[in-house]
Amino acid sequence: MLVLDQAGNIVLLNVQAERQFGYGHDELLQRPITDIVPSGFAQQFGTGLELIGRRKDRTEFPIEIMLTTVEGDDGFLVSAAIRDITSRRSAEAHLAQVEGRYRGLLEAAPDAMVFVDSHGSIVLLNVQAEKQFGYHRDELLGQQVSAIIPEGFAERLIADGTRSAAEALAQQIGMGIELIGRRKDRTEFPIEIMLSPHESDRGILVTAAIRDITVRRNAETHLAQMEARYRGLMEAAPDGMVVVDPAGAIVLLNVRAEQQFGYSRDELLGQQVSNIIPEGFAERLIADGTRSAADALAQQIGMGIELIGRRKDRTEFPIEIMLSPLKSGQAILVTAAIRDISQRKKAERYLSQMEGRYRGLLEAAPDAMVVVDAAGEIVLLNAQAEQQFGYRRDALLGQPVTNIIPVGFAERLIADGTRNAAEALAQQIGMGIELLGRRSDGSEFPIELMLSPLASSEGILVTAAIRNISVRKAAERHLAQMEGRYRGLLEAAPDAMVVVNAGGEIVILNVRAEEQFGYHRDELVGQRVTNIIPEGFAERLIADGTRCAAEALAQQIGTGIELSGLRKDGSRFPIEIMLSPLESADSILVTAAIRDITVRKAAETHLAEKVDELNRSNEELGQFAYIASHDLQEPLRMVASYTQLLSRRYKGKLDSDADEFIAFAVDGASRMQRLIQDLLAYSRIGTQGAGMSEISSEGALEQALTNLGGTIGDTGAVVTHDALPPVMADETQLIQLFQNLVGNGIKYQRPGVPAIHISARPAGGGKWAFSVKDNGLGIDPKYFERIFGMFQRLHKREEFVGTGIGLALCKKIVERHGGNISVESQPGLGSTFRFELSGGVQSWRS
Amino acid sequence: MAIVNPTGIIDVLLVEDSPGDVRLTQEAFREANGSIRLHVASDGVEAMSFLNREGVNANAPRPDLILLDLNLPRLDGREVLALIKENDSLKTIPTVILTTSEAEADIVKSYQLRANCYLSKPVQLDAFESLVGSINDFWLNKVKLPTQKQD
Repeated sequence: MLVLDQAGNIVLLNVQAERQFGYGHDELLQRPITDIVPSGFAQQFGTGLELIGRRKDRTEFPIEIMLTTVEGDDGFLVSAAIRDITSRRSAEAHLAQVEGRYRGLLEAAPDAMVFVDSHGSIVLLNVQAEKQFGYHRDELLGQQVSAIIPEGFAERLIADGTRSAAEALAQQIGMGIELIGRRKDRTEFPIEIMLSPHESDRGILVTAAIRDITVRRNAETHLAQMEARYRGLMEAAPDGMVVVDPAGAIVLLNVRAEQQFGYSRDELLGQQVSNIIPEGFAERLIADGTRSAADALAQQIGMGIELIGRRKDRTEFPIEIMLSPLKSGQAILVTAAIRDISQRKKAERYLSQMEGRYRGLLEAAPDAMVVVDAAGEIVLLNAQAEQQFGYRRDALLGQPVTNIIPVGFAERLIADGTRNAAEALAQQIGMGIELLGRRSDGSEFPIELMLSPLASSEGILVTAAIRNISVRKAAERHLAQMEGRYRGLLEAAPDAMVVVNAGGEIVILNVRAEEQFGYHRDELVGQRVTNIIPEGFAERLIADGTRCAAEALAQQIGTGIELSGLRKDGSRFPIEIMLSPLESADSILVTAAIRDITVRKAAETHLAEKVDELNRSNEELGQFAYIASHDLQEPLRMVASYTQLLSRRYKGKLDSDADEFIAFAVDGASRMQRLIQDLLAYSRIGTQGAGMSEISSEGALEQALTNLGGTIGDTGAVVTHDALPPVMADETQLIQLFQNLVGNGIKYQRPGVPAIHISARPAGGGKWAFSVKDNGLGIDPKYFERIFGMFQRLHKREEFVGTGIGLALCKKIVERHGGNISVESQPGLGSTFRFELSGGVQSWRS
Repeated sequence: MAIVNPTGIIDVLLVEDSPGDVRLTQEAFREANGSIRLHVASDGVEAMSFLNREGVNANAPRPDLILLDLNLPRLDGREVLALIKENDSLKTIPTVILTTSEAEADIVKSYQLRANCYLSKPVQLDAFESLVGSINDFWLNKVKLPTQKQD
């Protein structure tokens, strides 16, 4: 460094300047700059200027000066920084030499490049070297290379000749030597140098490519760390771990692998992995490049592949390998975790056996069976489940069970641990839970679930037996409806209704029953029926089984049984019960309709009394009628007989008045006799009626005709008849009946021949309709009712003799035989009298 | 014609309480048979007195035929019948019940008491006369009666 004043004289200089130019300090002060820099100085400011410097000994050397002005008290001074660029010049000269070949390379080299001569001085360097070491080029040129590479480099150079250096170098050529580089700031960093000789006009130079391997070293350290950690993991792994390189060689293994395969580590390192895994592994590695290996591996990552492992003793065992890539410095390695799955294989075989059996059971189960895991997903189901829910198996496996049982199932599983699930299940075991199932078409149907736990290797699963209870539900609804309806009927029934169980206890009663017996419902439910019906009811139930009760009831069905009911106030009243069985879900119950027959009983009693009275009365009446008639006969007989005697003996002997009087008396008396006889006959129909027996109606008719024989003969009447059936009748009365009707037919005639015809036809129900048809006078319809009345006559005494009791008699006889008598007639067209009689036994067949 | 009595008179005892009936019967027998002597007892006591020839009836003839009505005051006809048929000497006299009753019970009872026959009095006069004629014809003409001397 020199400071010049405006005149160009050196006013200041430093020791380097002294050295550079070889002067002492004072020797330069106040000397003009041109002494040392002969030319070219004056005009240049600011730029690095290459000039020539002259030493004291008159030698010249190239310099570069940098000028700057300095303000001083005396005005501007010029400060010149002078650099000896001899080396540089020579380097430049050298560089120019090598420029053709190497300059580009040098500068372009990614690595720092330094040329070192046989003295160990740096003769050339590139910009990377500058950067790497933190020096400016000039600071290093000419310096010993040991400034930047303290150790290890220089020793490799033998200072006594380049030949030896070449020899020495020959060992180094191509090898990366790791050394320590030192920066300008004294910091050190790891480097790798690659040496190569270079012939130059100065002799053999050593070209050193210097690579900063800090990062690599870090990585290597890191890797070493990682490797250590990894190695630790590997050793600790429960599975055999083997690391294989792309060539298929084992580069790493752990102790477990040694145990598994029965080898010691050294026996396997470097060996092909196919020694221990004969097939299937190597094929998975593609040895022609990490990229492909990575692709191949990408498929394998995470999957367990089942292969066969081979031990040192040649025995084989089933293994599962899980592969994962491992990037190492050079390539992708494959880490294989090898698991001995002998046990698992055995268990799997056993499980598949069990599964086979279980599956068989599952498929054979009549109910739908679904197995659900702790997460509520279906893991297993049978064909019935498929059918019930309308899904194919695949559509349900893995699905949440809530798809088919929306509500109520999943809630029963606690997903946070099998223990809790087991507890939750413990409540469910054996109980049928009613829920709703949902089919694939969205329709829902009632189901009953029965849950049971199933331990599996994956935890506790829940087996659900699912029963479609639609039918049962429908039946229950129906039953509830029926019960509702029945209950309604029960309450609405006019009679008291009581339902009794096989134990004789009242289970249901209606409001009428409450009223009848004077109890409140609650007081009777559960009580024995004998509380209200002390005798006669319980005996009809056999308490030791519904079957017997049913049998016992079978006799009772439909019959009304009269018993005595007991009211709450202790009073009794007559009841009639009608029993019928009622099947309930559990047993046969007996429904008893209980009717209070107090009124009826009273009526019956009353009726019986009345009937008795009536009978007595009738009897009295009959007696009376008989006695009256009979006792009347006596005096009447006197009157009639004596008036006739009178008439006989004195007719014509007294005056005509007397004759007339006597005639009227006689007539009156005889009429009276006839009336009384008829009356007696009428009354005897009831009192002296015989029982009905099967008789021939034809026979009775013939008897009647015989009795009328005289009249028939006198009138020349023609009486005909059809075949007449056997009938149930009182014979005497039937004769009387025919006699009267035929007699009437003959009597009430116009002039001519009376013709009477009797016929009978079936009238249904075993009865016969008889008809007596005459060709007589006929009867005006307005008299049809009257003629059957007592003593009713339609004709004067002069016209026809008769008391008018004949048809009343007929009516009474017919009615006593349970029939009706009627007449069809038109005046002048004859009459047909019809009446019914019950036929004999045979008539049922005809 | 069987004449049982040498005198030719037939004694008939009529036990009848109705005077009207008595007269009718008399008239009817008169028509039928002029040889009949009709004795009348108007009740059972008189009848027995007559038959037993007691008191005023000490000289009463033994009747060849008894016509007995059932409904009598004091001693009833059935009792008379019974008495007659229990009496050794009287029971051989034919006793004919002649009554208005047609009751089956009376008929049966009469025969049980050994009435010789039972006849119902007809209501009509001519029928009655005809019946009396039949009695006469049968009992007094056709039938062999025991002679009186046998008592």
